[in-house]
Amino acid sequence: MYRISDQQVDFILADIKKHGIRIESLQQNLLDHICIIIEQNLEQHDDFEKFYREIIKTFYKEELKEIEEEAIFLVKSKGPFLLLSRLQFFLLLFITFIGPYITYDLVWFFNEGHGSVLPVEVWSGTMVFATFPLLVLLVLYFTPEKLDPLIPRKSKILLGIRPFIKIIPPTEKYASYQQ
Amino acid sequence: MIYSSELIKGTLKTIVLKLLTDNKKMYGYEITQKVKELTLDRIQITEGALYPTLHALEAEGLVTIKTEFIGKRVRKYYSLSRAGKTKAKEKLNELSNFMETMISLLDIKPKTI
Repeated sequence: MYRISDQQVDFILADIKKHGIRIESLQQNLLDHICIIIEQNLEQHDDFEKFYREIIKTFYKEELKEIEEEAIFLVKSKGPFLLLSRLQFFLLLFITFIGPYITYDLVWFFNEGHGSVLPVEVWSGTMVFATFPLLVLLVLYFTPEKLDPLIPRKSKILLGIRPFIKIIPPTEKYASYQQ
Repeated sequence: MIYSSELIKGTLKTIVLKLLTDNKKMYGYEITQKVKELTLDRIQITEGALYPTLHALEAEGLVTIKTEFIGKRVRKYYSLSRAGKTKAKEKLNELSNFMETMISLLDIKPKTI
């Protein structure tokens, strides 16, 4: 059986950290797991670093830090939550920020009758208070490339108690929350 | 036949809790090997799925941890906490009921292995 040296342990740990694993508990687990695989499969004359590079690739799809992202996601996303698409999220923002002004105008209009005209203080109030949020929403929605990674295209938005809001980029795993 | 990761993902927590019920303490690599052995290689738990799950179980207080130094590295042994033992029973009952419902829903005939 191959005997892994202290220098090799340090090398693996440094590489794990370099590739985005910051949680110590995960570092320790991954380090031990990798060391066991190496000790059980590597021969004395084999190239340690080459073998390590090959096995570490089997731990992830795109990047090693996916493991930490998934761990954080599982811990933080407890309790009731709502998973929205990008479009649904912007519709929700629209309803929240613009909806009250439009509703007020419509209620006023229907109360006063069809022939009446909205007084200037009502529609100008709507313009002043609704225009700015509307412009911000439109810019955010239609230019995700420029504002990326604020709310990237194809991202999902998690609304819940813990966390209150979380933007999930397309690469991050959220499949377990779609069940 | 190796089962899809989607199927395994929904049951991983239950699998880990059940293994820790049957075995007093286990470490990550041991869990992956035990699952392979018990399922004749049909379920292979990936590191990318196992360690986030163990981390979440730890955060929820369902497992307790003891560490052991193997040379310069640390091995983390997981055991069920009292809350974990209760949770394991709940999850097993839930999965058992779910499987019965799926068998009935999909009209699956039980087959002998």
